[in-house]
Parts: sequence; C-alpha cells; structure tokens
Amino acid sequence: MKIKLDIVKYRWLCLCISAILLLPGICSMVYSMIVYDTHTPIRVGIDYTGGTTLQYSVQEAITNERLSAVRKGLESKGIENPSLQIINVNAANDDNLRAILAVRTKFIDEQSKDLESINSVMKSEFKSPELVQVASVGPTLGKELFKNSLIALSLALLGIIAYLTFRFQFDYALSAILGLVHDTIFVLGVFSILGLVYEVQVDALFVTALLTVIGFSVHDTIVVFDRVRENLKYYSKKMTFSEIMNGSINQTFTRSINTSLTTLITLAALYFFGGVTTKDFVLAMMLGILIGTYSSIFFCSTLVDIWEDRELSTKAVSA
Amino acid sequence: MKNKLVMFWAIVLIIIASIVTICVKPTKLGLDLVGGSRLVLEAQTTDTISHITPDMMSSLQFAIENRVNKLGVSETVVQRSGDKRLVVEIPDVSDLNQAKAYLGETAELDFRKPVMKNDSEQWVSTGLTGKDLNSANLSTNSQNGQWVVDLEFNSAGTKKFAELTKKMVGQQMAIFFNGELQSAPVIREPITGGRAQISGGDSGFAYEEAKKMVDLLNAGALPIPAKIIEENTVGPTLGADSIAKSKLAGAIGLGFVMIFMACYYRAPGLIADIALILYSIMLFALFKAIPVTLTLAGIAGFILSIGMAVDANILIFERTKEELKAGRTLFTAINSGFDRAFTSIFDSNMTTIITCIILYCCGTSIVRGFALTLAIGVIVSMFSAITITKNFMHLAFGTGNLKNPAMFGLKPEEIGEGFQAVETKREKAKFGILD
Repeated sequence: MKIKLDIVKYRWLCLCISAILLLPGICSMVYSMIVYDTHTPIRVGIDYTGGTTLQYSVQEAITNERLSAVRKGLESKGIENPSLQIINVNAANDDNLRAILAVRTKFIDEQSKDLESINSVMKSEFKSPELVQVASVGPTLGKELFKNSLIALSLALLGIIAYLTFRFQFDYALSAILGLVHDTIFVLGVFSILGLVYEVQVDALFVTALLTVIGFSVHDTIVVFDRVRENLKYYSKKMTFSEIMNGSINQTFTRSINTSLTTLITLAALYFFGGVTTKDFVLAMMLGILIGTYSSIFFCSTLVDIWEDRELSTKAVSA
Repeated sequence: MKNKLVMFWAIVLIIIASIVTICVKPTKLGLDLVGGSRLVLEAQTTDTISHITPDMMSSLQFAIENRVNKLGVSETVVQRSGDKRLVVEIPDVSDLNQAKAYLGETAELDFRKPVMKNDSEQWVSTGLTGKDLNSANLSTNSQNGQWVVDLEFNSAGTKKFAELTKKMVGQQMAIFFNGELQSAPVIREPITGGRAQISGGDSGFAYEEAKKMVDLLNAGALPIPAKIIEENTVGPTLGADSIAKSKLAGAIGLGFVMIFMACYYRAPGLIADIALILYSIMLFALFKAIPVTLTLAGIAGFILSIGMAVDANILIFERTKEELKAGRTLFTAINSGFDRAFTSIFDSNMTTIITCIILYCCGTSIVRGFALTLAIGVIVSMFSAITITKNFMHLAFGTGNLKNPAMFGLKPEEIGEGFQAVETKREKAKFGILD
C-alpha cells in the first residue's frame, strides 16, 4: 500500500489540533452561560425564549448611528430591551431589498399595541420600510420547542449509535459518536462566539443544521471505517492494525475531500446567492461539513487506532 | 448487453414520465415563499372548562374555519395539531393585524340585568347569549345615522328574550360583547318580535367596529377561548425574493459541481453530470407528484441532497479507479467499483435517513419540510447512482479494455500499479471478476 499521509504516526498531534480547534468555542460557551440571562451556551432566539421578531426591509444602508436612533425611538415608546440586528442581503440586480433590520422584542400578543409603535418608529427613521416578516412564539411554546429540540438531538444520537453498533463493532460506533460530538461542539462553539460578537441567535433551523451535520459527519466516518473493515478481511494477518488504518485513510482520502468539496460548493452557492432567511443555517452546515471531514480523517480513526492498540497490549499482558 | 439496453429504455421512460409530471402538475409552494401567515392557536382552559375534549376542539376548529373564510382569501387551511392546538394558514394576507384580530376574539355576546349587591349595582348574566342568535346585520340608525348592529334571535332566543323583557319593563338591560359593556337601554315594553339592536352607546360605533362585531357574531362564538401562541408571517416581497435567489443558488451550485466532476473525473464525470441532471428532474417530479410543499428549508434540503448525490458517484469512481490501478479490466473494474462502494453508500445514507426520520417526527413544520426533501433526495440519489450511472457507464465503455486511461484521469503507467487484494474464489465470483 502506498502511504502518503501517516496519520497514525502523528496521532497525538491530531488530538492536539482538535483540542486547539474546540477550546475557544468551549471557553465562549462557558462565558456565555455565565453572562446571558438565559444561561445557555449560545445566544438562543425567540424560538426558544419566546418573543417576537419583526423584519423590515429598507432601501438604504443602515449605519450604526441610525441603529442607535431606532433603539432610542423604540425605548421612548416603551419597548423594553429591543434587540436589533442588521441582516445583509445578497444583492440581486434589480430588487429593492437592500438590507433587513430585525427587531426582536418580548412576545407581542393580539391585544398589544407594540406593533404599531414599532411601525411608527421605523417609518420615522427610514424612507419606506416594509414589514417583510413577522415571527412570534409564545413563552410557554418556546420552552416546549427547546425540550423537543433536545429530544430530537438525543434520539438522533441514539439511533446512530444503534445502527453503527449493528453494522460495525461497538468501539467503531463509539469513536464515530465521539467524532460527531467533536463536530457538534465545534459548530456550537463558533456560533457561541458569533453570538457574543455579532449577536447572532440560533433558532429551530439551527438544530436542523446540527442534525444534518451529525448525519454528514457519521457519513464521512463510515466511509473510512467501511474501508478498514474491508481491508481487515484481506490483510489482518499480514499487517498491523495501525498499518491497515493508515492505508484505509489514504485510500479514502481523495473521496472524503472531493465529497466535502462538492457539498461545500452547493452550500457556498446557497450562502452567497441564496435567500437571506437561511444564511445562518447554511453557515452552520458549511462549518459542520468542514470539521466533519477533518474529524473523520484525523480524529475518529485516531481514536479507533488508540483503542485497538490498548486492546492489543492488554491482550499481550494477559497472555 | 441486452439487459443493459432494456434498462436504458426504462430509464428514458422514467425521465419522460418525470418531465410530463413537471409540466402538468403545479408546484406547491410554502407560505414562506409565496407570502402568507401561519398561526398556531391554543385552546385555553377557563374556570368553567378545566379539560379540553376532542369535541370542543372540533367545534373550535369549525368556528375558526368560519372566521377564516370571512377573510375572503382562498386556500386557507385550518388543521388540528396535538390535543389543544390549531394551525391556521392564510396565504396572501394583505392586512395581517385584521386577520389576527378575527381569530383570537371569542365573540361572546351576553345580555345582563342589574342586581343590587352590597349597595352597588352589578350586572348579572340573564342566560341569554350569542348562542340564541339567528343572525346579525349591519345597519344605520334612522334618526342619527350612526352604525348599529341588528340582532335576530332564533326561536328559543325569541322566547327567552320576550320573557325577559316582560319581567324587566322599566329596568335597564345591558349588552356585553366580549366582556365589554356596549349599551344599556331601558326596556319600555315587552319585545316579542325576536329582534334587538345594539347601538354603540353615546359615542356610537365606528364602521370597522360594528362590521367586525357583525362578522364575529355571524361566524359564531368560539366554544372555548383560544390564544395565538405562534406566528410566522412572510410578506410577498420577501417570498418572491427567496424564490428567485434559491433558483439562482441552485443553478450556480449545480453548475459548479458539474464542472468540478467533469474536470476531475473526465469521462465518468461527464456521465455523472448527466445522471445528476436526470436526478434533479426525477426528484422535482417526485416532489410535485407526492406532493411535497416546497419551503425555503425544503429547497435547502434539495440543494444539499445534490451534494450527497454526487458523493455516491465520487465513491464509485474512486473505487473504479483503484480497481483499474490494480490491473482489472474495464468491465470488471466498473462492476466491482459499484459493488464495493455500495456498502459505504448504503451505510452512510442510512444514518442520514435515520436523522431525517427523527427530524420529521420531532420537528416543527419548517424542520419537517427540510427532513422530508432531504430523505427523498437521498433515496432517489441511491437509485440514480446505482442504476443510471452504472448503466450509462457500461453502455458508454462497453466490455473492451481501457484503451485511453486519460478518460478516467489516469496516467498509463499507473494501470496495474496499485496493490492487489488476495481474494477468495467466492469474492471473485461475487464481483464478477474473470481474470
């Protein structure tokens, strides 16, 4: 077997790189849990806290001064702690959708006059703002959605563990799961940092992105493991496990890179040319696929290798 | 070779059927693409109603349907969701606040009489309510030209009203609408004709106010109070923008992927490109045939599944290249490339399908749209890679030897250089290896 990339030799280095990649995000998540009112590791949106988001499209650029003017105007009308976010729109040639200003407040119910107040503030600050999207989630429903998302995540993990244990051995399944935990923490970490710096909030769609990333990450890992399984059949007597692992990674290397590349191409097209509503969702998936490719080549296989090594040495000792 | 040709024509037939479906069937677009409003109402328990029964929900649904129809918008949907929720979808709504005001209000009409309690006068219900009405109409007072609401009782209501007014001559009778006092006229004589009128008190009704009251009364009171707990409204501008941009993004994404495949994998890459176009056609036809309502998240799932469809092809080509390097003939290399890549493709797609199923079961409507399109996409992509690509490869390359390795992006000296697996006879037989 031709070996271009000796992963096994550098396995501790791989683990170090993983640690370096994950650490800033973990720090940010811990910091966020202390700082935010919601005590969540990432800034959660109205889907989970309850509240109302109004999105206005405006035809001019939004400067920071204008933003603070809007904020002042809203506060003078009795809107408490409005959160404002500018969403940049991919400029298409002819449309008048230049930028979107998202105003987030507490839940506005049918009786409340807050909507009219916000409308009037927007009209006084911008030339012709148009209310393009309203999203409202009641406070009790928010908690329910949060619970449901966590249930969905755990069920997905269990389902994948069960399937992998059924198709592969348990240690493979375990390292694939560790790999996707690795990927999930990375994506969560990046969004935690984005939340601190750019006030990016996550919604129900973000959980969808995470679950897709999980699926994709396992997908990548399986391709490598499948190859290991196949090679073990032919070479287990001639080569050590590490050699087989290395060979398998090298055999699947081009495929892993190319697959991620094509998926990234489609996602990048969505990010740069697609609609504004799904931008964060697509960003989460791009990050997840990048890290998923990394983890399936450098992280999961290293784990299995370390595991098998220990198995062998314990066997040798007991013999 | 004969089987291959039969397969080829079967594929052609499927594609023709798909194209016909695409032309004939309309695309179902979600509210976030056409613009519209999606509201979730939750029935509320009150002091008197501690438990919400399915019967109550049915009558609530009926009442809400009545009200939504009053908006005069076509293709509205009112659906039950869970034990105590209703999902209301209203496309193309022009004035959202109006729609919301119509849905949440209970429309409780209540006739009350004065009773002295602890030295203060209080209004107590007489038992005559909006349920006793036959219809309500908008009209104007002939004397001062103000808007009034004319009420017509049903037979039971007429009887009740006649008895009440007989007892209460000389007294005030108050009319409450949704707990608010509208007017309290003094009864001068018994009213037996089954008709009454609500004036807006001293200030009178504004037209909108009176109109809304009439509509709500005619639509019927909600059997139980309901609150809007979730709302998602997209204006038509944003919807149109999303469609245009998703189309552009899809075309650009697909285009770049096709260029990449053709450059990297050469001849097989081109075949994969054709398969990819056919895949998109089949998938789109399937979405229309089922029909799947396309939302923005659904389109994202669709575009992502293109990426995954390519993956199957990449796995197969990489494997075929390896088999060629190991010195196999072209025909066996293609066959074993497909067979050996299949377990990888199957296992990895199964995990994606597992997550999709879970997302579909636990998710909200946005998430469901995504999960459904992605799952269908993954299943169709397996079919497309294993039948279409394989069939086209065999037809294009035949059974001969590989004369021009550059067609696969290989150098001539690479052929036969790879490591060779020592295979059992059974393995060889399975992969159709003849050498």
